Amino acid sequence: MEDIKKAIVEFLESGKTKTKFYFKDIEKAVKDKVPNARTLQIKKACSALINEGVLIYYSTGSTTMYGLKGKGITEDH
Amino acid sequence: MAFEPKRPQKKLNYQELRLYTDEQLKNYTEEEVKNFKPKHDIPKLEQLEDGPWPSFVADAKRYALRRHKLGQENLLINEDVVDDLLGQLELSYVHGETHWKHGGIVGVIGYGGGVIGRYSDVPEQFPGVAHFHTMRVNQVPSKFYDTNFLRGLCDLWEYRGSGLLNMHGSTGDIILLGTFTEQLEPIFQELTQVLDVDLGGSGSNLRTPECCVGKARCEYALYDTQEMCYEMVMHYQDELHRPAFPYKFKFKFDGCPNGCVASIARADMSFIGTWKDDIRINQDAVQAYINGEFPPGGGSHKGRDWGKFDIYAEVIDRCPTGCMSMEDGKLVIDNANCTRCMHCINTMPRALKPGVETGVSILFGAKAPILEGAQMSVMVIPFMKAEPPYDNIKEIIDRTFEWWMEEGKNRERLGETIQRVGLQRFCEIIGVPPAPQMVKEPRTNPYIFWKEEDVPGGFKRDIDDYRSRHAR
Amino acid sequence: MALSKDKLGRFNPDNPMENRVTDIGPRHYWQYFPPVIQRNYGKWDYHEILEPGVLVHVSETGDKAYTVRCGGMRFMSVEFLREICDIADKFADGYVRFTTRNNIEFIVDSLEKVEALKAELAKHKFYSGSYKFPIGGTGAGVTNVVHTQGFIHCHTAAVDASSMVKAIMDGVFEHFTAMDLPAQVRISMACCLNMCGAVHCSDIALLGYHRKPPVIDHEIIDKVCEIPLAIASCPTAAIAPAKTEDGRKTVRIKEERCMFCGNCYTMCPALPLADGEGDCVVMLAGGKLSNRISPPKFSKVVIPYLPNNHPLFPEVVAAVKQVLEAYAKDARKYERLGDWAERIGWEKFFEKCGLPFTEHLIDDYRLAYDTYRTSTQFKYTDAAWAVTRAAEGEE
Repeated sequence: MEDIKKAIVEFLESGKTKTKFYFKDIEKAVKDKVPNARTLQIKKACSALINEGVLIYYSTGSTTMYGLKGKGITEDH
Repeated sequence: MAFEPKRPQKKLNYQELRLYTDEQLKNYTEEEVKNFKPKHDIPKLEQLEDGPWPSFVADAKRYALRRHKLGQENLLINEDVVDDLLGQLELSYVHGETHWKHGGIVGVIGYGGGVIGRYSDVPEQFPGVAHFHTMRVNQVPSKFYDTNFLRGLCDLWEYRGSGLLNMHGSTGDIILLGTFTEQLEPIFQELTQVLDVDLGGSGSNLRTPECCVGKARCEYALYDTQEMCYEMVMHYQDELHRPAFPYKFKFKFDGCPNGCVASIARADMSFIGTWKDDIRINQDAVQAYINGEFPPGGGSHKGRDWGKFDIYAEVIDRCPTGCMSMEDGKLVIDNANCTRCMHCINTMPRALKPGVETGVSILFGAKAPILEGAQMSVMVIPFMKAEPPYDNIKEIIDRTFEWWMEEGKNRERLGETIQRVGLQRFCEIIGVPPAPQMVKEPRTNPYIFWKEEDVPGGFKRDIDDYRSRHAR
Repeated sequence: MALSKDKLGRFNPDNPMENRVTDIGPRHYWQYFPPVIQRNYGKWDYHEILEPGVLVHVSETGDKAYTVRCGGMRFMSVEFLREICDIADKFADGYVRFTTRNNIEFIVDSLEKVEALKAELAKHKFYSGSYKFPIGGTGAGVTNVVHTQGFIHCHTAAVDASSMVKAIMDGVFEHFTAMDLPAQVRISMACCLNMCGAVHCSDIALLGYHRKPPVIDHEIIDKVCEIPLAIASCPTAAIAPAKTEDGRKTVRIKEERCMFCGNCYTMCPALPLADGEGDCVVMLAGGKLSNRISPPKFSKVVIPYLPNNHPLFPEVVAAVKQVLEAYAKDARKYERLGDWAERIGWEKFFEKCGLPFTEHLIDDYRLAYDTYRTSTQFKYTDAAWAVTRAAEGEE
């Protein structure tokens, strides 16, 4: 679990201008780094990071993305 | 059946819940409403106050008055919120343009759905609606309520929000319209800890499932839509609150092919009640319809004189499969050729009833037009038992989720994924064989993507072997 | 337990996870069934509509449940909801139900209670004269219009919803309180092409439509938006990165690819679409959801443009009535609007409804060819003769 969380955070930190990502992008990046990670585990890791205040959800209402708290837009205007 | 909640239900009693006294609840007179002038001039809106249909403007205006009489000391967001909403709405009518902006970040901690951020783009003019966030509250399946719950909700929402709401939104939730960011968490805590109810879905998650009135008040219900809806919404809470799907995903539960909750047009997985045995016929009642003793259609056409009921013109000749006839004064149905369209049953409900071996058809992939065009759900599983604990159906759902999360592209609804990879691939995934029930007609092009294992000898060939028979 | 009066209620910002309750789902339905429903759950034998808006369901046990259905506003205040509760407490043992189409239902167990309810409901009127609880919406008539948020809450709405719905229902009210049509007519309204409602399978659908691509606020776009997000939000890939003359980051729009959905505006307030001059209303017709007689079908675009005349939308109301009256006059019993149009032929539909057929009504999106007529079977209308005259080089 910890290695998956680490991979998620590293991936989200790597974005240059883009700071919000779809779950599928995160999933792919994590699976590249942690080959035995399963989708459900990645989702659980994201949820845990949300609860810890490391990640935030970014929602258009119809779709949802994840971002690092403090990176890019983190407050509504 | 009966009362089998997944968790103990708090008994809600408005007298214990309440925030406002009786005096505070009845705090204005009709005379005051008549003379009330809202904060902004709203001549366009006021054109919508008369006419027979209920006027949302008249309702909002009297509610604006009520908030003023309550006073800011009894309200946590701006007392003027309704005046300002009406003012902004009036301005929108003048401009022919909406004045809302979307927000993406606000929500309650740990949930990725249930709250939609909203801001006015004219906040200086209408400060009461500078923030106007929506909260979706998971409705009671099939939308029965008692007044203890509703009055409690009214007090909570009046105190901490705009006091304006939708009963209900398009997907089925109760929609609380308009509050400030600061109140989102407090409202969530009151909802879950006191009113014992959760938020609904939004974003890339399972949207709040919805069902028809079902066995509660409909003789056509072919499975227990409320129970199944409740079971699924409880079982898939994580999918509902923590989005990780490529896009939204909807379940809807229709008790019969009449389709009162529109599952076939709107749900990624449509569960529609059906039966596999014979339509039950009460020949005496058929005769009573012919004799004009019972009104056809349960009285649905009483407002016009359509003449005497004619079983040929109205039922037998309208049957889409022509599987009905009269023999020796008795109605005969060739059930093997019936497609269960419900017309005969709808028209003579006291004479005809669906069979007793009932279950669900499961169809997949409906969505509104954006982006590839509208799609209706595709018949994939003609018949399945639908009985608690629904493990057979959860198995199908889990396979669907797992595959779609893997295969679906960002912002691609299930129906679009199926369209892109082909229905046959989807059948493989959920483990069902292809069947003619899945198509209107077979394909008209022969461009079949044969797989290597389908063809004797496979795809690996030797050019020398070929050349041994064919010169260059 | 009482609701909290504290400013932040039970929320402790210093320890937000304290006492947090999550994943509890909805309230269980059973506790909200009136006794007659609890006793007869799953035992219903048949039903009858006694008069518009009043139904009786008869159980195998002999019990009867009477329902009084009232037209409802989807958008209401808590004050209106409390008024519903007052009626429910006095006349329906404290129970009330809402339908999928935003109607309000009171369920009672005797005809005496029905009469008392009806008398009470008739008394509830707004100061302006409109009914609060009009009884109807059953059988072969027009029931409530399902609709979206419009200008009351939506940021992509091309037109308002509640006002148009009010104007339409005022215009066709006589069909709400009567069952005088060939079949039920389901009217739906969505305020942009995202269609939060199921308007794509309705007998008559009204759809707000933007007709201009977003206008770019180059000044602020780099500050208020995350540009890659705005680009990624476009379903047709019509947004590309660009630079302003002074070298700041912005986007450009491939206008011919824009389908006016507003997804970019969701992500980026520097890309507004709304334009009071360009936005309009589209009418679709002939869709249905039920499997009765014919399979469910999509609504078809029959009027590409109606003006966005807030708040009374006279042109929209007139068009709805025009189609509705042509259908009422011509269709057979049980025939839904779309079934009628298919039986008489869409060319006759346009003729009988008095609607012009314009180039916009011929599909040119994906799978368009499937909607083209590939047969010699057609009926003559004026539109056919106009083609003949043009083909022969006449005026």
